[in-house]
Amino acid sequence: MKKRGRGIACMWYPIGFTVAANPSAAVVKVNEDGTATLLTGTVETGQGSLTVLGQIAAEELGIATDDVHVVSADTDTTPMDTGAIASRTTYVTGNAVQLAAAKAKEILFQVAAPMLGVKPEQLEARDRKIQVKNYPQRCIGIGEVANQAQFVMGQPALGSASFNPPTVALDPETGQGKPFATYVYATQIAEVDVDDETGEVEVLRIVASHDCGTAINPMLVEGQIEGGISMGIGFALQEEMLFDKNGKQLNPNLTNYIMPTSLDMPEIEVDIVKNFDPTGPFGAKGVGEPTAVPTAAAIMNAIYNAVGARIHSLPATPEKVLAAIKAARAKKLAQPKVKALAKPKAKSRQKRVAAR
Amino acid sequence: MTDVTLKINGETRSAAVPPETTLLKMLRENFNLTGAKLGCDVGDCGACTVIVDGMSVNSCLMLAAQLEGREVLTIEGLATPDRLHPIQKSFEDCASLQCGFCGPGVIMSSKALLDANPNPSVAEIRDALAGNLCRCTGYTKMIEAVQESAKAMRGRKSERVA
Repeated sequence: MKKRGRGIACMWYPIGFTVAANPSAAVVKVNEDGTATLLTGTVETGQGSLTVLGQIAAEELGIATDDVHVVSADTDTTPMDTGAIASRTTYVTGNAVQLAAAKAKEILFQVAAPMLGVKPEQLEARDRKIQVKNYPQRCIGIGEVANQAQFVMGQPALGSASFNPPTVALDPETGQGKPFATYVYATQIAEVDVDDETGEVEVLRIVASHDCGTAINPMLVEGQIEGGISMGIGFALQEEMLFDKNGKQLNPNLTNYIMPTSLDMPEIEVDIVKNFDPTGPFGAKGVGEPTAVPTAAAIMNAIYNAVGARIHSLPATPEKVLAAIKAARAKKLAQPKVKALAKPKAKSRQKRVAAR
Repeated sequence: MTDVTLKINGETRSAAVPPETTLLKMLRENFNLTGAKLGCDVGDCGACTVIVDGMSVNSCLMLAAQLEGREVLTIEGLATPDRLHPIQKSFEDCASLQCGFCGPGVIMSSKALLDANPNPSVAEIRDALAGNLCRCTGYTKMIEAVQESAKAMRGRKSERVA
């Protein structure tokens, strides 16, 4: 018989390690046509980090994301990056991009100030213009300012910067300190059906609530969360490398190493928690790896809720779940005192049923 | 060598290939159509999916010689130089792909489904994509994109009728 259960799991995850050097650098150049070029060493692997970095540069310069040409991961031309790892790109590389764009903007402000007859600190960059704060009609197009900077002032509008989360030494005696720059938090709830005759588990629904600071691109955040959940489901129920006693892998192919397909995916509800981290670019932290952290734990708790069996090793294959269900039943039967105590309860339940 | 003449994306093409050549290898190496990807090469991953006479197939599991006189549609046959196919457009709009390696296969499986069933249920979409493995996306946004493109394609057809 299929039994339904719900389980919940929470997690925190560190972003921007500080125990070793963890730098990212960026170069931002504002062109005479009002576009900008961003050089970054980070690698796009489909997670959308170049889109997010382009958005950060655009927001700082007051131009559109489409106006930013991102050049990435070319060791001939781009600054070295610690890597698209550790859920660090939005936070660490994003901070470097924002700082580099701010430096280029500072040059634009210095050049535009005498053109507009104000001080540089009275200026802001918005809607592809450099304008006087609170007097947006007093403005010059950003391309024209970049042109003036290049050809009249001889000071091209370009900025470069690096960001390395401030290193904090750990106390050698207590081990206490600050190993990471910031943290993200998440809760996932899983709803499952467990067949108590076969041990088969079906994940019906997962609700995922994630804090990532400011979600610079909510659609990409959703994509990361949905992908992480699929990896979490594989971790929970399917994926296992099997080795023989000589250490040779028995399932080195996708026929025997089972990973989730479209048929294994539940209905997913994503909830992005509104938050702001003052140390991140425009308040952003990160979202990559944390998405896969709580899924398996939530599913295991849901299995316990459904059939009263605790699974202590992953993946929870039907064989393991069925064995755990049988063990839980046997344990119940082996406790005569509990059984004796349960008797009057059972009677009263029968009475209630009879009364109905 | 075996001579094969077939229609690829509406064009008649011929090649002389060793008899053990798969359709995938012929597409990629003889015709330079590298959209279909070589993933597992044993029919597990679906990255090589193309459409043969209206059916989606793993091109790594078909021999080129079996294609004599038949019609193949690959991902290269969907878009025109100035317009994406509605399925490709929906995949882009819904951010359905991440690394994109599985993308051509997933889109061809979706095309085969929508050609046969213009209004599929979510369960039917899941079933049609079950042979295409994706490690990045969790499939959720792909299923949304197939629903969106089904809507768009139905709309276009009714326009044409009217």
